[in-house]
Amino acid sequence: MIELGYYQALISLILVALAIALARIKQIPAEKNMIIGTIRSFVQLIAVGYALEFIFNSEEFWLVVLAVFVMLVVGAYTAGQQDRHNTGGFRIGAISIGTGALVTLGLMLALEIITTEARYMIPLAGMLISNAMNASAVTLDRIGADLKANRLEIETALSLGKNWREASRRLYRNAVKAGMISILNYMKTVGLVALPGAMTGMILAGASPLKAVLIQIIVSYMLLSAVTMTSLITGEMAIRRFFNDAEQFTG
Amino acid sequence: MSCGNVVILETRDVKRIVKKGDVELTTVDGISYTFRTGRIYNLVGPSGAGKTSFLRLLNRLDEPAGGDILYREKSIMEYKPTELRTKIAMLFQEPFLFQGTVRDNLNICCPDKEIKNMDFHLERVGLKVTMADKDVAGLSVGEKQRVALARALFQEPEVILLDEPTSALDPTSARKIEQLIVKLSRELCLTSIVVTHNPDQAKRLGGETLLLVEGRLVESGETQQVLNEPATDLGRRYIGNDLS
Repeated sequence: MIELGYYQALISLILVALAIALARIKQIPAEKNMIIGTIRSFVQLIAVGYALEFIFNSEEFWLVVLAVFVMLVVGAYTAGQQDRHNTGGFRIGAISIGTGALVTLGLMLALEIITTEARYMIPLAGMLISNAMNASAVTLDRIGADLKANRLEIETALSLGKNWREASRRLYRNAVKAGMISILNYMKTVGLVALPGAMTGMILAGASPLKAVLIQIIVSYMLLSAVTMTSLITGEMAIRRFFNDAEQFTG
Repeated sequence: MSCGNVVILETRDVKRIVKKGDVELTTVDGISYTFRTGRIYNLVGPSGAGKTSFLRLLNRLDEPAGGDILYREKSIMEYKPTELRTKIAMLFQEPFLFQGTVRDNLNICCPDKEIKNMDFHLERVGLKVTMADKDVAGLSVGEKQRVALARALFQEPEVILLDEPTSALDPTSARKIEQLIVKLSRELCLTSIVVTHNPDQAKRLGGETLLLVEGRLVESGETQQVLNEPATDLGRRYIGNDLS
């Protein structure tokens, strides 16, 4: 088995140089971001590597909780940035991502699929939160755009005596579906187009492909659960802000 | 149907203020008026006079900043908005129909209420009975407006608010809609409040006319009186096309 270290990581910078050279030849204005992204990912991942090493070795549960909390805050902030309503994006992100990720994680603990050990909790929470974050961001963005663009449809429904939920039902369903599209596409093509990250990591680390596949199946179902919950909650909370208690569209 | 000419809707010193950034705009400025059953009321005035803003307050699509609106002698604030809007229906300038057939659209307001006589509902707005199962995507704007009207009437409202209902139509279709409004107001004892930028249309519709300028009610009364012999300087300027 190949031993991976800093040397191999540095050597792989050749690939970055190749990408930057191609971008420069084609005059794509991304050179600066590519360099920043390379440095940033290196520093972030090394820092996370040390932090995880420390948490795994300490076996303190509160450190696991702290790590999950930090992931959740960053995920909620990032998703909230996609909010076009300009109020409460972070709150929606925190509640929807938190519910989607933590309920899924809790169920997995309750069903004894995983234990509270840091080596399970942190990587799985990371996967759940990042996928839920993307779902929440897409749903938020879609709702902001669709509600503003479909004022006539909404007000026609309100004028027919519909309440805010009924008046926005079609747009809600479309936005939630948009939030889920990435995980649905992933589940359709998993293993056929690309081997997913967790599975790839396990195989690279020397685990048997069959064991890696079983873990990946659990991860896929887990992601579907978290993403669905997050999209549904994001959609509901995001739409509600466009209406007041008098069933008036204020968007 | 006997139409009692009783008070159905009353506005008392109604105001609407809209915030645009740091600026507050008064779009409706203290309008008081009484609307009776079975009558047609035209809201006329230059662009930005507050006609649509006033109309949207009547079924509580927007909230007034002051004053009160009474429906059947009770403040509209005391009704559930969803219930109020089935009694005070609204038709928009551009008709919006939900995906599906004409029948689906009529059913949308009240899914539990079976449409026993689809022919009747279509014929009374001048649509052919064969259109019931037609996809709304293939309808002309005039037909769409009629379906929207049939859909609004299906809820059996007592008041219908029409925001420039003919502005997207050709003159022939517009005339037909005007005739329909007159006929339905009479037959159903329906109070119709119509926003129009066209004084000639208001004359054809008859009833009463309210002239609004800069959010204020500057003149009102029988349509022929208001539009042929305005009593105020602003009224004369409006008729003389001197108000932008």
